[in-house]
Amino acid sequence: MTRPAMTCAKCGTEMNHQADKLVQPTTGEEAATVGPTLDGLLERVFACPGCGWIDSRRESGDS
Amino acid sequence: MTRPLFVPVILGTPRHGRMSEHAAKAVWSEVAKRPGVDTDLVDIAKLAIPVDDAGEEAKDPHFAELVNRADALILVVPEYNHGYPGLLKHVLDTNLKEYIHKAVGVVGVSAGVFGGARAIQNLIPVLRELGLVTIYWDVNFTSVRRRFDDSGNLVDDSFLALDKFLDELLWMAETLRYGRENVTIGGPG
Repeated sequence: MTRPAMTCAKCGTEMNHQADKLVQPTTGEEAATVGPTLDGLLERVFACPGCGWIDSRRESGDS
Repeated sequence: MTRPLFVPVILGTPRHGRMSEHAAKAVWSEVAKRPGVDTDLVDIAKLAIPVDDAGEEAKDPHFAELVNRADALILVVPEYNHGYPGLLKHVLDTNLKEYIHKAVGVVGVSAGVFGGARAIQNLIPVLRELGLVTIYWDVNFTSVRRRFDDSGNLVDDSFLALDKFLDELLWMAETLRYGRENVTIGGPG
């Protein structure tokens, strides 16, 4: 399994994928990607071990 | 630990004549005495957050950055008709990723004997859904009008348990920082 990755926008350090939070779609475009299993989207949340910065991106909950 | 913990205090009501401001300043001054901890006092009345929008669209960028930097939050919450202030909920709802796996402690304030306990109980499910990690210590400013003099100085600190509250909150903040930055969701491998 390939782990999601993200680089810190503040300091360039590879961030740690620390959480997946179920969220509901806020746009029609997001709603179109919602799958039947979780019935929502995943907010994939990352934290930077270098500076502590938090960032995230949304993906289909069934991806 | 190379970076100090950052633990801002959020004054959770915009009302005129709020006694919670005295409580927030008292808590803030105690946090500032802790070594290895930076803090700030945030007044939700001063945030540039529209009340006719929500989420990312309503974010105050300075508040969002402050919460992003925070390792823990202290919410100072008056009890209004057994609930928490509506504007506090609206402000909290403008962020999400910034809260996840961070510690939160709640300071309740009321004119009566419960010290905001009912507001705290109502607020805890909201904090959980936001991804914040609650602690089992609260601070309850009961009978708040008798606790401060006219200048806002605390004249009675009995039953506040503020030191124990901060001990637990800072332990949780430090532990969760390690987890956020070093422990990957889904386990090792």
